[in-house]
Amino acid sequence: MLFQRDGRLTRDLVRSPGGFGLGQLPTRLKPDATTDMVCGYCSTGCGLTIHLKRGQAVGLTPAADHPVNRGMACPKGWEALTVLEADDRATEPLLRDADGTLRAVTWDTAMRALVEQFQRIQSSHSPDAVAFLSTGQMPTEEMALLGALTKFGMGLVNGDGNTRQCMATTVVAYKQAFGFDAPPYTYRDFEESDVIVLVGSNLCIAHPIMWERIVRNPHKPAIVAIDPRATETAMQATQHVPLQPKSDQALFYGLARLLIERNWVDREYIEAHTRNFDDVASAVEPFTLDRVTDTTGVPTAAIEQLATTIHNGQRVSFWWTMGVNQSYQGVRTAQSIINVALMTGNIGRPGTGANSITGQCNAMGSRLFSNTTNLLGGHEFGNPDHRTKVAKELQIDPGAIPTRDGAAYHEIIEGILRGSIKGLWVIATNTAHSWINQQHVLDVLDRLDFLVVQDMYHSTETAQIADLVLPAAAWGEKEGTFINSERRIGLVKKVGRAPGQALSDFAIFKLVAEYWGCAEMFREWESPEAVFQILKRLSRGQPCDFTGITDYGMLDKHAGIQWPYPDGSPAIKDTPERRLFEDGRFYHQDGRARFVYEDPRPMPEPPTRRYPLVLLTGRGTASQWHTQTRTRHSGVLRKLYPEDIYVEINPTDAADLGIRPNSQVTVESRRGRLVARAFVTRSVQPGHLFVPMHYAETNQLTDAVFDPYSKQPSYKACAVKLSAVPG
Amino acid sequence: MMPTTPSGQPLALIDHYLREQAQLTAVDRFARTHDTVEAPAHTGRYSSLLPATPPGEGQQYAFEVDLDACSGCKACVVACHALNGLEKKESWRDVGLLHGGSQSLPVLQHVTTACHHCLDPACLHACPVDAYEKDAVTGLVTHLDDQCFGCQYCTLACPYDAPKYSRAKGIVRKCDMCRDRLADGEAPGCVQACPSGAIAIRVVDTAQVIEESETNLFVPGAPEPRLTLPTTTYRSKRALPRNMLPADFHAVHPERAHGSLILMLTLTQLSAGAFLIDRILELFVPVSLVANIRPMHGASALVFGLVALAGSALHLGRPRYAFRAVIGLRHSWLSREIVAFGLFAGLAMVYAAWTWMALRPGPAAGSAPGWLGWTVALAGIVGVGCSVMVYAYTKRDFWNGWSTGFKFLMSTLVLGLATVWLSLMLATMAGNSEASRATVARYGTLLCQSLMLAAVVKLVVEAALFRHLAARHTTSLKRSALLMSGALAPVTMARFAAGLLGGLVMPGFLLLTRLPSSQAHGQDLVFIVLVAMLFTACLAGELLERYLFFTAVASPTMPGSL
Repeated sequence: MLFQRDGRLTRDLVRSPGGFGLGQLPTRLKPDATTDMVCGYCSTGCGLTIHLKRGQAVGLTPAADHPVNRGMACPKGWEALTVLEADDRATEPLLRDADGTLRAVTWDTAMRALVEQFQRIQSSHSPDAVAFLSTGQMPTEEMALLGALTKFGMGLVNGDGNTRQCMATTVVAYKQAFGFDAPPYTYRDFEESDVIVLVGSNLCIAHPIMWERIVRNPHKPAIVAIDPRATETAMQATQHVPLQPKSDQALFYGLARLLIERNWVDREYIEAHTRNFDDVASAVEPFTLDRVTDTTGVPTAAIEQLATTIHNGQRVSFWWTMGVNQSYQGVRTAQSIINVALMTGNIGRPGTGANSITGQCNAMGSRLFSNTTNLLGGHEFGNPDHRTKVAKELQIDPGAIPTRDGAAYHEIIEGILRGSIKGLWVIATNTAHSWINQQHVLDVLDRLDFLVVQDMYHSTETAQIADLVLPAAAWGEKEGTFINSERRIGLVKKVGRAPGQALSDFAIFKLVAEYWGCAEMFREWESPEAVFQILKRLSRGQPCDFTGITDYGMLDKHAGIQWPYPDGSPAIKDTPERRLFEDGRFYHQDGRARFVYEDPRPMPEPPTRRYPLVLLTGRGTASQWHTQTRTRHSGVLRKLYPEDIYVEINPTDAADLGIRPNSQVTVESRRGRLVARAFVTRSVQPGHLFVPMHYAETNQLTDAVFDPYSKQPSYKACAVKLSAVPG
Repeated sequence: MMPTTPSGQPLALIDHYLREQAQLTAVDRFARTHDTVEAPAHTGRYSSLLPATPPGEGQQYAFEVDLDACSGCKACVVACHALNGLEKKESWRDVGLLHGGSQSLPVLQHVTTACHHCLDPACLHACPVDAYEKDAVTGLVTHLDDQCFGCQYCTLACPYDAPKYSRAKGIVRKCDMCRDRLADGEAPGCVQACPSGAIAIRVVDTAQVIEESETNLFVPGAPEPRLTLPTTTYRSKRALPRNMLPADFHAVHPERAHGSLILMLTLTQLSAGAFLIDRILELFVPVSLVANIRPMHGASALVFGLVALAGSALHLGRPRYAFRAVIGLRHSWLSREIVAFGLFAGLAMVYAAWTWMALRPGPAAGSAPGWLGWTVALAGIVGVGCSVMVYAYTKRDFWNGWSTGFKFLMSTLVLGLATVWLSLMLATMAGNSEASRATVARYGTLLCQSLMLAAVVKLVVEAALFRHLAARHTTSLKRSALLMSGALAPVTMARFAAGLLGGLVMPGFLLLTRLPSSQAHGQDLVFIVLVAMLFTACLAGELLERYLFFTAVASPTMPGSL
């Protein structure tokens, strides 16, 4: 009684060997089986070993021998299962009644309502009056079914994904430069480079496991971080280039000029494998060091140092993320990076490449198979041969395939505003939080006749204003495949039960097909794995050909397989990690890559006297994911980031405006205002502010301008003013 | 595989999909057969992060953090949570952020921290039930979860916020460096999980830990290492700029209030004060007068004392094990406090009973002996002294020995005096109006003046804290002053208002209106109201002061995050 060494509380923490190669685990969580699957957050595509007890997940550890993450995971991955259990999981269909209240209904009622409302809108307006907004978070098979169902079965033309918010820029940049949307690298390149140039990418926070691969680089690489902020990644870099926002394109044109001027380019490679070099060489002529220094704010010596580093590198790789993509001129900026990689011959060899790091877990699947910006399998809607090919593979009437691309995300939003779009189906994304210039979006969504939200939570900002909420099963509660940043197709498995009546998105789409009356068209689309076989056929002959992958079993065995993997490819064990363009042949008809140039444009909303500061947005911590619909459900993740919105302010600006550290401040743009806590820090430059994107308020400030080619929103920079909240 | 479902049967299809959704397929289709792989697959990767040999004489295990490698992903925090099967928000590791540098060279530095497995662990010395052990061979500071009774004193004593209290379980738990993993040649959870290999386990020489603690170079923003001799090494090849500040440096958050401790401290001091004043009064006032109010006084003092002790038991996560507190007597001030007040309560009960017996007519009864009264008062004062040391031991500036001692002693006096007035009032109401009126008439002025003096001196000293607002540096006392004048300002105002009302205004009224010639007959309603207000205001004022004592303290801790 007086002294107790053992008992219930002590036993609660007892660890014992977990078996299955896992090492010690809490005894009460010892699994009776394990299985590996790919994580459902970001595009890194880490392998997670799921610990199972009677078929159900009880825990997870990062997969020890996985080719992507090699036994590591970021906080989100570790907590991937926790967020599935939440009070606000959608468990039954909800339909808004005459009083305006969302009430539980049966699936039958829900399906009838969806079909009735959408068909009514289509008949009283036009088939185009219904649109969908989808996601980069669903398995490829579900995306493909949604895309085929809506566009071939329901007669919709307009549908887009939230991938528009992150990857559209790279898609266009790659298509124009390489002839196909094809990130050329494999993660091993992180380990093989001797120079790593990161542009607008806070890898340490946004992609911690890719950073892990850099940590494993044995060559002591030079690491250059090009970012207006002194981020965690900039801290780890050997050179930080703190340029002015949106001046990266000028910087890379200046670099190109310097490399050409000093004859630090690979003439042989340029001759053999590219086109338009001379045009671009003369176009960048005016980007003298002085001019670039003037535009970027980066000292001449630092630019020269960067050029020298690139020149001295034997294997130079360039990597970019949202700092480049989310820009009003993102496509050309990405291509200015691609230009430098091409002209220095840094592509197609180990440790090289012009490499875009993707955002969401299946953005790459969406890029190929969502049937939105391109026809299933990287084909084109406008190309009759492609339509015939796809129709044949799907055994459908080619006439059922739209002949033009659908509207982009912002065009759908504008369509609603103009009244040409009356019905919207939002799947696994949170438009009311994440879309740029949020005040406006709420007003726009309010104009819809019928808004359907299909999500795993009924609590998202968008679900709250829906007319119909369809409860969806989550990652880990269904099967399918994701494609990661290095083109690796990985498997998602069913290791947990969806709550209540929630169904996989796949089953929901099949039900819609049934109620819509077009189920016959999807007879072969029986299960996700059956769809995988269909997608394989569609990929045949495309750069993304993966006809050599037998089935899910083969994907499972090899911890995912990178495309391309056409029929008759060598065994995976001989080529575990593969990069593109090793033979110098690109996907354009002539096999040559293109240099692309366009004059940089000034920021659409430069700072003025009234709005004198530039607001930067981005990822806050490795523990937060996008609009936090999932990450906020993990108690331990919530401990790792500030609950409430904060703004980073340089001490100089804080002093000028009389702002005390940790006090409340107002940040105001021409579109809206928010109140946030001041974090006074030198990680932002004077004249800049930084607010993380995860907080709902952030997008009340951002400015709805878009890249003209990719139509991706320019979230990263707009003009704001700052003031202390009195009291 | 799903059977082909014909069209035209949507309801059947819904049922089909709902059934299918409920089936778990991963095991049947993909479960891995690991029969041959029982050994951990990770070990090779982290072997360089573990010590080659166990600690020898004069050595122990310690964490080593490579600050240069840490990129701030915080996977260590989550892995600790997951690999140890902890509660929803529980993790034994935290990550803070330091920032500073110049505009041309800004610096961010994340700092991961867990238990430092100190050479001289404050948690272990503070624990009243000996629930902490320091392993003789490994040096690991471990916690016996079933021995813990949830007093949470270790969470106040540890300068590094290492022990974590679980409200659900009613106990504290903490990092044990995954000692059974270490014993099996596996790495602790955080070490396994760090993508950058920034956390390692090393063997350190205790002599060197002591030597290094002299220089006060642990990690910027952390409490001085000489307090507990933490063994973690933070190493970096870069010299951190001198202006590195924790990201939460300017954040001032009220700490937890600990309601039951507020009640316990205030009321034990009231009770001890009441018994003490009773003794002192006897030195001045004729026994015949005192004897009449003594039963009432003893009873009320006792009742408050018992409420205090019941309240303090409620503070425990597992109050049924309160008796275990006796075993830490040799080293734990909390243990001593509990024992002293236990003794005090026992003696006070005997004493109070005696005074009531004395009232009963009959030959057996006699007045309670003076030595017993003094023993009760002495036990009370010893208890209050232990209370002072409980907080002084935590080395927080706001709780330093002198200031805490002054506060607790003055509360004892103020509340003791207020309770004398309460007893006089109760005696009046109970019909002993003659005696109490006589006491008031002869000694009221002295009682009023002492109360006013004690109360005002105490308020002035408390208010003196605000001089720290002018300090150039954000010292911990300035933080307390900022809190009291900022987030806690309403409480502060209420505290001073109540203190002035009960300690100055009401006694002043009594002096002016009721003294020296109290002529009222029978039950003097005005007198009752005045005294009731005096006592209530004094008690409320001291409770609020104690609320601020807990909430406005600046706790030392490792650098925090935003």
